[in-house]
Amino acid sequence: MKAVIFTFTTLTFCMLMAWRWPAAEMPSSKPQAVVDWVLSKDKAVDDVLMRLGDNPLPHPVDTSMRWVSARAGEELVKFGFGRGPGGFKTSRQSKHFVCTSCHNLEKEDPDLSISDPQARLLYAKENDLPFLQGTTLYGAVNRTQFYNGDYRKKYGDLVNVAQDNIREAIQLCAEECAQGRRLRDWEVESILAYFWELGLKMEDLAFSDREWEDIENALAGNGDAEGVARLIKRKYLAGSPATFVTPPEDRKVGYALEGNVENGKLIYELSCLHCHENGRYAFYRLDDSKFSFKHLDRHFSRYTRYSVYQVARYGTSPLNGKRAYMPNYTLEKMSNQQMEDLRAYVKEMRK
Amino acid sequence: MAKYFFSLLISIFCCGLVTAQEKIYQTFKDTRVINSHSVETLPKRKLDFRVSHRFGDLAGDNGGYKTFFGLENASDILIGVDYGVTNHLTVGLHRTKGAGSMPDGNSGLRQLLNGLVKLRFLQQTSDNKVPVSMTLVGIASLSTAEKIEDNPDIIRSFPKFAHRMATHAELLLARKFSDAFSLQLMPGFTQRNLVPFEDENGIFSLGLATRVQLTKVMALIADVTFPFSERRVSANGFYTPLGFGLEFDTGGHVFQINLTNATGLMETDYIPYTTTNWGDGEFRLGFTISRLFNL
Repeated sequence: MKAVIFTFTTLTFCMLMAWRWPAAEMPSSKPQAVVDWVLSKDKAVDDVLMRLGDNPLPHPVDTSMRWVSARAGEELVKFGFGRGPGGFKTSRQSKHFVCTSCHNLEKEDPDLSISDPQARLLYAKENDLPFLQGTTLYGAVNRTQFYNGDYRKKYGDLVNVAQDNIREAIQLCAEECAQGRRLRDWEVESILAYFWELGLKMEDLAFSDREWEDIENALAGNGDAEGVARLIKRKYLAGSPATFVTPPEDRKVGYALEGNVENGKLIYELSCLHCHENGRYAFYRLDDSKFSFKHLDRHFSRYTRYSVYQVARYGTSPLNGKRAYMPNYTLEKMSNQQMEDLRAYVKEMRK
Repeated sequence: MAKYFFSLLISIFCCGLVTAQEKIYQTFKDTRVINSHSVETLPKRKLDFRVSHRFGDLAGDNGGYKTFFGLENASDILIGVDYGVTNHLTVGLHRTKGAGSMPDGNSGLRQLLNGLVKLRFLQQTSDNKVPVSMTLVGIASLSTAEKIEDNPDIIRSFPKFAHRMATHAELLLARKFSDAFSLQLMPGFTQRNLVPFEDENGIFSLGLATRVQLTKVMALIADVTFPFSERRVSANGFYTPLGFGLEFDTGGHVFQINLTNATGLMETDYIPYTTTNWGDGEFRLGFTISRLFNL
């Protein structure tokens, strides 16, 4: 009887371990026969560029590393922990945020070749996405520049290693943006493996019929492959531009633009409430009550931490004991017009 | 009646399945009202560090200018932490000085270590299918005071270890009627393992608490607890613990300033031992500072 129990227990344990063990789920690197490959909308942009003779992206996943798994990366991105040795949960990367606090995982711009906050807001509404400070992680592997523009003002020399290295950019985000622990090497590779699953597809880029034909011809060896590769790259941004702006000089007057209430409603719901509703990521709670709108309206023109101008343009700082701070909105993530739209909505709702 | 009771039971046991309706949050802003607990539990992985203080009598024989309106005395002090194990389960550990006493001056338990378990099992929904939020609270207080030998007439004689303990259990039923107004009922039972001669060990009580939101940051709060005991009447020197206060929620911090005639801070203290009377000026200033941390 003892032997039966022992055997059963051992088998159950092994099965459980096997179930929990993270299998390395990498994009297949098996060489594919060229004859089988046909250009279609669902093809990865990186794949097409490689076939056009372009240089490979500088951040392939190191699959030789143990514990690397796209699923572990997905869990880290969405929930803040991964499954490491033995399949057990790692400690949470950050007590305050997960990647999706500030970044979408879906395409968030209708036209990936420009950064237009208003087009993004409407696209977010149509696709039921939040409107966030961070750039979407969808297509992150297709980018080669990170922490661009004025982020140097915020992070200083930390940007040096992160600006053209996605692994360092992930680490900078983990430690500074998320105010969490440094990621282990296998965790970074796992996140990268997951990012590769979120790579751009040809259908995400806006090609005319003529351009599509040119790509097909170039892939068939009948055109200017280099030129077509350049054409494809022009269809998406290699990095997200970031321009830091200050609140309006006279906060009572604002940016001297007329606000659109409907647009402001979208910003409030898709942006403010994403973090502040029921204290999801913020201690300061917002809702649709008059109290919230009156408070926001009263402070809009003031020099306080409740002023939307203040916190949206400067953000707040992570402090000891209160590291859940608010990142600022760059001009590319919220335009001055949108700030006034939000103000108009708040003013309307307080009545 | 039976039908309604059955519906309520079904609602309670199916609360985990109530996900389609929009839940009502922040019936109260803090986990305490003034003296009593509120229906709120902490969010998962949040640590709430709390400091509460009750000064001495503001007026009356022991108040006035000679004690600078009670500010030079400390009736009771609480320091402790609560932790959100899940969004619906909070545990806590607090140290209190202990303040209650019988009308004859025989003191209640002192130097208390208080354990708290709080389970929210029902949450109000916007469509009123679940009209109230409900939370169970369990409190156990253990006196670490030095045993006083050779005086069996006082509580601190502690003939047995169990006599150092007092417990309290209550059911909190609360409803947020609007963004500005919440009301809470609190039937409870307090058990003291050792009581003075002719006193009773177990006391049923019913509390009432309310919150009126004045601005986004500030609210008016009040609570009262009626002990159901023939002995606990003003003729015997006992009074109903009643408190009023202002609460400031600045996002992460909750600061509360209040006036109450209760001297003790824990239910095991102020429900059986409130012998101070508002009418005699025996009310005091109190405050609570609560600070949330992500863990």
